[in-house]
Amino acid sequence: MARRLPTVFLVAAAFIFPYCVQRIFLHTPIEREMGTAQKIFYFHVPLAWLMMAFAIVAGIAAGIQLRRGSLRAEATALAAAEIVLLTGIGVLVTGPIWGHATWGHAWTWDARQVTTGLHWLIFAAYLLVRRYGAAGSDRLAAALAIFGAVNVPIIYYAVKIWKTTHPSNEVVGSLPAEMWASLWPALIALALLSIALLLVRLRQELTDIALDEAWIRLNERGEA
Amino acid sequence: MNEEYEPVEGLDRASKACVRACEAEAAAKTASDYQHIVWAYGILWALFAAYGVLLWKRASRQRVELLDLERRLRETP
Repeated sequence: MARRLPTVFLVAAAFIFPYCVQRIFLHTPIEREMGTAQKIFYFHVPLAWLMMAFAIVAGIAAGIQLRRGSLRAEATALAAAEIVLLTGIGVLVTGPIWGHATWGHAWTWDARQVTTGLHWLIFAAYLLVRRYGAAGSDRLAAALAIFGAVNVPIIYYAVKIWKTTHPSNEVVGSLPAEMWASLWPALIALALLSIALLLVRLRQELTDIALDEAWIRLNERGEA
Repeated sequence: MNEEYEPVEGLDRASKACVRACEAEAAAKTASDYQHIVWAYGILWALFAAYGVLLWKRASRQRVELLDLERRLRETP
């Protein structure tokens, strides 16, 4: 069953996505001030939540990797970091497009934008160190992932701590029922898709580790 | 006096009509701003599709490596 989980999630997401889009465009009222561009919200916000959630997963997995030397935890951290990078690009692209439509500027150096941008860079650095770092750099990379997870509350509270043009966290809570009814399916669909991709990537990383070990054993056998 | 137009300080009837026309035009533009939507949704799906292709290519490479490993195992005494 565990092997089929990514397929199940992908199929479920494939059914929910069209439902989401038709709900967002046909059954959700157009927001009075921001107009049609506000419909970016239904994917922008869930992507931001998922980006932060997977960053915490990557940070915890990296912590376990450092403490116990677990290869599985290392693979989980790597897979989660890739999803952070993917959802992070989504947030950093859809946000400025929405900002361009409603604020008149794509990038305003707003505290939420800057902390999200830095967050993305931390995980990009993590993946670069993992890919090109010398022997032992996996520990440095793990520290970066933990640092990235620590950045999550900073992103969340950025709109409270600093004066920003970005809407406050309370906006989502005050949404009318019709908008929530469109936000939930979008969140579920994106979560299913992201978890499916994470599981596929995790399996690939574990296969890579197993292949590396097999090659080493084979070479040792050949030399003996 | 036309009841449709309330007297507003500093605005004559023509200016007020002009402001209303501009506001209506802006509201219509905001309500039909599909350009930003198309870009945002398009890029979003393209990103996930690109990552899917990346995963698929990585899986293909692993399959080739696995076949190579099996071949080498058969050849090694």
